[in-house]
Amino acid sequence: MPLVMLCPACDLAHRRSPAPAFARTRCVRCRKPLQVARNTTIDTAIALAACASVLMFLANAYPLVAMHVNGASRQTTLIGAALGLYEQHDKTLAVLVFLTIFVAPLLHVATLLYVLVPLWIGRRAYGQNFVIRLITRVRPWSFTEVFLLGTVVALVRLAKFAHVVPGVALWSCVLLMLCLSAMSNRTSSDQLWQWVGRGPR
Amino acid sequence: MTGRAATGRSLGLLSCLDCHLTIRDAKAPHMRCPRCHASLHERKPHSLGLTTALLILAAVLYVPANLLPVMDTNTPFDDESDTIMSGVLVLLHSGSWPIAALVFIASIVVPLLKILALAVLTYSAWAGSPSGRLQRSQLYRVLEYIGRWSMLDIYAISLLATLVQVQSFASVIVGWGAWAFGAVVVLTLLATQTFDERLLWDAHT
Repeated sequence: MPLVMLCPACDLAHRRSPAPAFARTRCVRCRKPLQVARNTTIDTAIALAACASVLMFLANAYPLVAMHVNGASRQTTLIGAALGLYEQHDKTLAVLVFLTIFVAPLLHVATLLYVLVPLWIGRRAYGQNFVIRLITRVRPWSFTEVFLLGTVVALVRLAKFAHVVPGVALWSCVLLMLCLSAMSNRTSSDQLWQWVGRGPR
Repeated sequence: MTGRAATGRSLGLLSCLDCHLTIRDAKAPHMRCPRCHASLHERKPHSLGLTTALLILAAVLYVPANLLPVMDTNTPFDDESDTIMSGVLVLLHSGSWPIAALVFIASIVVPLLKILALAVLTYSAWAGSPSGRLQRSQLYRVLEYIGRWSMLDIYAISLLATLVQVQSFASVIVGWGAWAFGAVVVLTLLATQTFDERLLWDAHT
């Protein structure tokens, strides 16, 4: 571990403290958090990722919302929201929605498990370093929490003239959002590299 | 800020843009990070140029995003075209003002604020302005955090368009405004990512 670290936000050089930081440290000049607390274990991260994958399955397997109006009813799943756009020939938006609410969260969880499980049993995943880089690139494009709020907005607009029923997937999405944010907080890029550094080279 | 601060640049060190590993003597071109194998750059390459280009595009598309209808609702009684603003008004009249305020902030205020603030940041980084760097840096971090919430309306529209396809009763069709709006959100997200915060601090250090 090099003794000097540079602030990623303002390039100021800091001497890395030899003792592990148990609290968050910030850059003295620009206040960017530099070191995160090191009390997360790899077990917690794997547990959260496993939990997220179960919730993700539920969120995609069951209907998100159902709508009843004039004796007719319609329901949609999470992916159905993107497919609905696709059928209306609005392919660009459909792809954007599909990528941000399905592909990105799935890829985020899958790549984390791919890297963390081998580390946990003391091995090293094939292409590990590349995959860690992928994780940090995918993370900003996962929009589960925003999607959830968008669903609430849509339901409020529909509630005026139809009877809307939230489905299993909506509640799974709420839990998934909490789980994903807990997971992201515990698997910052610095934290991942720290786990890698401790394992076999 | 007194005197010259010891920065990576002044010490001949650089940190990997991807994994933040500190690297010494990375002068050779096309060198890659020994840890994560990302290509090494002292600063994000072409940061100001890319951010400016993306911002101009976003600012141009912001106009149709707000003027063109984002969705057309067809019912037996009437056909309605909703822009983002009229969608907010519909929510307001249906009595849910907290949701209306939320959509107004996320869809109209945040994108505009983001375009303006990033333009100010890009200009001040280019001009090397030394004052209020901490505040500008913090402004950038706020933009990074709130930018994603603008996608909210895209998801609401896509759900409405999927659900409201009741035969002979009502149907919702997505308009061109939604496309422009989605483009604005993605472009501003990319512009925030390509902007290098360190450029705010580079002058006079």
